[in-house]
Amino acid sequence: QVSELVQFLLVKDQKKIPIKRADMLKNIIREYRNTYSEIVRRADRTLQQVRKTRKKGKWGRFWEGLTILFPQVFGLQLVEIDTKRHIYILINNLPRAEGQHLCRGKEKEKMGLLLVILSFIFMKGNSVKDSDATILLLLLRKQHSVFGDVKKLVTEEFVRQKYLETTPIPLTDPPEFKYQWGPRAEKETSKKDVLNFVAKMQGKDPTFWASQYNEAEADN
Amino acid sequence: ENREAMLNSKSNRLTEALEEANRLFDGVCRAREAALDAQFLVIASNIGKEKANELHSEMSAFDSTAFAEDLLTFMGINRTEVEDSDDSEDVPGGFLPSDAWQTMGEEAPKYFRRAPTFHYMMGSFKSEPPVRKQRIERQKKASRGKAERAMPAQLKKMEESHQEATEKEVERILRILQTHFENDPDTPISFFDFVIDPNSFARTVENVFHVSFLTRDGLAKIMLDEDELPIIEPIKPSEGEEEDSRAGARNQVVITLDQKEWK
Repeated sequence: QVSELVQFLLVKDQKKIPIKRADMLKNIIREYRNTYSEIVRRADRTLQQVRKTRKKGKWGRFWEGLTILFPQVFGLQLVEIDTKRHIYILINNLPRAEGQHLCRGKEKEKMGLLLVILSFIFMKGNSVKDSDATILLLLLRKQHSVFGDVKKLVTEEFVRQKYLETTPIPLTDPPEFKYQWGPRAEKETSKKDVLNFVAKMQGKDPTFWASQYNEAEADN
Repeated sequence: ENREAMLNSKSNRLTEALEEANRLFDGVCRAREAALDAQFLVIASNIGKEKANELHSEMSAFDSTAFAEDLLTFMGINRTEVEDSDDSEDVPGGFLPSDAWQTMGEEAPKYFRRAPTFHYMMGSFKSEPPVRKQRIERQKKASRGKAERAMPAQLKKMEESHQEATEKEVERILRILQTHFENDPDTPISFFDFVIDPNSFARTVENVFHVSFLTRDGLAKIMLDEDELPIIEPIKPSEGEEEDSRAGARNQVVITLDQKEWK
């Protein structure tokens, strides 16, 4: 009976837009009156921290049950990226597999572009000004046919999906923006992975960039 | 006499005043300079700090140009001796092949733990084999052709109605199941044979997902055979009316299937 919530989540995840718990509540919760107690029981059983879970109250335990269910059934993890507003994303619980990803349309190419951007940001000290990114834009201008509006993809889509975060730099006129990794990027990949990518591209050992290497190691 | 004296004294006083003013002015100038100096020092040190920070973060200097060039190489850039007037602006000294970003796209997923997105009727896959469900041992009669994906044009609009898409897919799977069962009602259909796509783990997970709808809605049932392996069977509409089918319906089975096992 949990399949409807699962379907809801998976469908929501298609566009990689984070999912609000409130939305899930609104749409699904009444359907789960029957299985609710089963899910709570599962949470209690698995967590084996009865006192702790009881404190969370009914909704909390239900939620924990679901977060346990997901990896077990689908190999997916429900991760909270905003603890105040209870917003979630789905990530893969399983280690990255080579070539197994079934991606539709331009997903893979977009991930390629994203990886390049995330690498650039990390290697430059975790933050770049949009003006610094001109070299990348130069590289990409040619590929309009692949990405369409590259600027829109980067500044809107990737930001909405929480892969990137953009903040205005104060006291700049005309206003300048800086780009950093978003919470989804932080959960779906790591500094270490990205450094390995850079190292692979440049045919060097990751330790070649000592400070980035240390930062990546410390990140674990 | 007085006037002269007065004038003199005045001029003296003026001179004095002027001299004093000069002194004061001098002082002011120096003070201002000092202030400017101080400001300059502060600014300079800030700049210096920034530079120092920059140097620190670039202690392991990251050469973006070199990185960009290496990316281009990876993506298969064809370097040209003579700069093409079209290309010279965008990609100095070469042009990228049309599949440049596909090459990058093959590499990128390795670095992400991205949940596979569930799309239905994936008409965009040219390289994937059309067969969704693979039959191996148990039902040799089953024809692969039955499992081919149908690609009607209107399915491209599925983006807008995910719910519908799921329903349609579930329906399609039910039809496949029913057809295979009708072809050979005596041979049980292995659940794993039914759902596993040997070429794609993600597709396998999707199949499991869709089958779960069938069991939920009482359109199919999963049982354990004598080897304790799951088998799947469609339920005839008339069966659903029987009392005991309701009683036995609600069993939850959790099967873990990770990629290692799937392989």
